Amino acid sequence: MGDVKIEASALSRSYRRADGAEVKALSAVDLRIEAGQFVCLVGPSGCGKTTLLQIIAGLVPPTGGSMVVNGQRVTGPGPSRGMVFQKDSVFPWMRVAANVEYGLSCRGVPKAERQAAAAHYLERVGLSHVAGAWPRELSGGMLKRVAVATVFANGADVLLLDEPFGALDYVTKRQLHDVLLTLWAEGEAGRRRTVMFVTHDVDEAMILADRIVVMRAGQIVDDLPVAADRPRTTDALLLPEMVRIKHILLTHLGLEAAR
Amino acid sequence: MTPRPGWLARNWASLAAIAAMAGVWEILSLIYTAEAAPGEPMVPGWEIVFGRTLLSLADYWGGGLGVPSVAEGAPPSYTAAVLAIISNSFDTIVRLYAGLAVGAVAGTVLGLAVSWSPWPRRVVDSPLQFLRTLPLLAMVPLFQLWFGTEFIGKVAFVAYGIGVIFFAGVANAVRNVPQIFIDNARTFGASRATLYRTVILPAILPELRATMLLALGTGWGAVLGAEYLGAQSGLGYMIVYSEQFAYLDRMFFVALLFVLYASVSYAIFDRLSRRWLDWTAKSGRAVAG
Ligand SMILES: Nc1ncnc2c1ncn2[C@@H]1O[C@H](COP(=O)(O)OP(=O)(O)OP(=O)(O)O)[C@@H](O)[C@H]1O
Ligand SMILES: [Mg+2]
Repeated sequence: MGDVKIEASALSRSYRRADGAEVKALSAVDLRIEAGQFVCLVGPSGCGKTTLLQIIAGLVPPTGGSMVVNGQRVTGPGPSRGMVFQKDSVFPWMRVAANVEYGLSCRGVPKAERQAAAAHYLERVGLSHVAGAWPRELSGGMLKRVAVATVFANGADVLLLDEPFGALDYVTKRQLHDVLLTLWAEGEAGRRRTVMFVTHDVDEAMILADRIVVMRAGQIVDDLPVAADRPRTTDALLLPEMVRIKHILLTHLGLEAAR
Repeated sequence: MTPRPGWLARNWASLAAIAAMAGVWEILSLIYTAEAAPGEPMVPGWEIVFGRTLLSLADYWGGGLGVPSVAEGAPPSYTAAVLAIISNSFDTIVRLYAGLAVGAVAGTVLGLAVSWSPWPRRVVDSPLQFLRTLPLLAMVPLFQLWFGTEFIGKVAFVAYGIGVIFFAGVANAVRNVPQIFIDNARTFGASRATLYRTVILPAILPELRATMLLALGTGWGAVLGAEYLGAQSGLGYMIVYSEQFAYLDRMFFVALLFVLYASVSYAIFDRLSRRWLDWTAKSGRAVAG
């Protein structure tokens, strides 16, 4: 068991919609995540996954309870937590390489070092050949890869990925899983980064996660460790333990009746 | 990529349209021969405009550079006429661009400042609506009383007209910057100043370009308006002076100069701004050809 990296206590967040109705995006969420864990967050649309990530990132303040990262209460965004957004967030006015360097340049990292880091991570996501392109010249999957390279280049040790590969085709998605897992496993000084990965895709969660947290209607309703060895092959997904987990997840998502 | 067609190939249609307009004007001048005053045709043909009219512009040359002025008793010459055009155009253009620079910078800085946090925006919103609805030309006399009829008065007036446009344009553009870009920058630890430099400013550039084109049009109108009332030089002064003597042809000539300068300034700005906006799909040449 590693150190506790992220700790939510009685965390809640409500919104008042324009029509006056109150929406409870999160209610009384308790969650502890250890350093180096790869956690997948699954749950139906609108259950509060993005809201939870935004609170960890410091972009949205909670309306109740507390969020602690690295032993410190979150009061705002900071470079210790990187986020890949659900929507495209790559800056269209910067060339691809400049986007990847962005976080480093915000922190005043010297140019040569920045460029080396950008080149390295662009290569890792297979985009060296478009380093000088404008984002508008890239496909949707390429843009996601730029976003992934950008958060890795910035060196945050908590990575928040909000359905990063949701809109991608199967092949690209599988390739990016490999890239992501490799980057995660080789965190600096042998320390893995801590990952929160939101997805709707049950198989994706089972391939990636050490632990799958299930949410529904603003609450955590299940928390499943996934012990299978890595790398997880097609066969690994067919192990009885994995099939059992899959049935549980599908039940939570309302696709199977409880047994 | 196919090589871009030559300038003539791309612009022949516009050139033909201009030539057609010039032709229609000439025909009108032959058909409609009424005169504003004896010897001053309502529709001066081209032979008049580039002959007698051009020569008569020597009236506006104040002397110097070894070319004596008409007021000193010299006969009108084409040299004096051309010098008159150059010096008066120069005065107007300097007033315009000084006002444009001051107004654009001040308006942009203020527009960015009020969007720094929600409070100033709320404070400034309604006064801004008020200023925007004030008819610009109605303010000319006011500015003359405040700032005088010299250089400063005209520049202040142009700067005011352009500043209001820029202020509104920038404040509105900042409001339209997608939140996701701002959030993204903040998660990378961008400070407020960095956020403005790396996200807000580039994100509003396309709208700023549209604002600038609007401001150029307003600027030419404003500088003329300022010169109509109490200038001793400039294109606006030439028009007012000509009007007093019903010199229709001269007014027409100055109007042509105006069209020329305005088109050139649009074209220059268009060229320059395209370079900053390389990243937007629109400036790509693929569709426009
Ligand atoms: N800014 C907001 N204003 C009002 N309501 C909001 C706001 N953001 C989120 N909500 C509401 O909070 C709830 C949770 O939203 P959230 O974006 O966290 O869902 P999600 O689990 O990420 O869904 P999806 O899988 O579709 O992305 C939803 O009911 C949503 O309508
Ligand atoms: Mg979401």
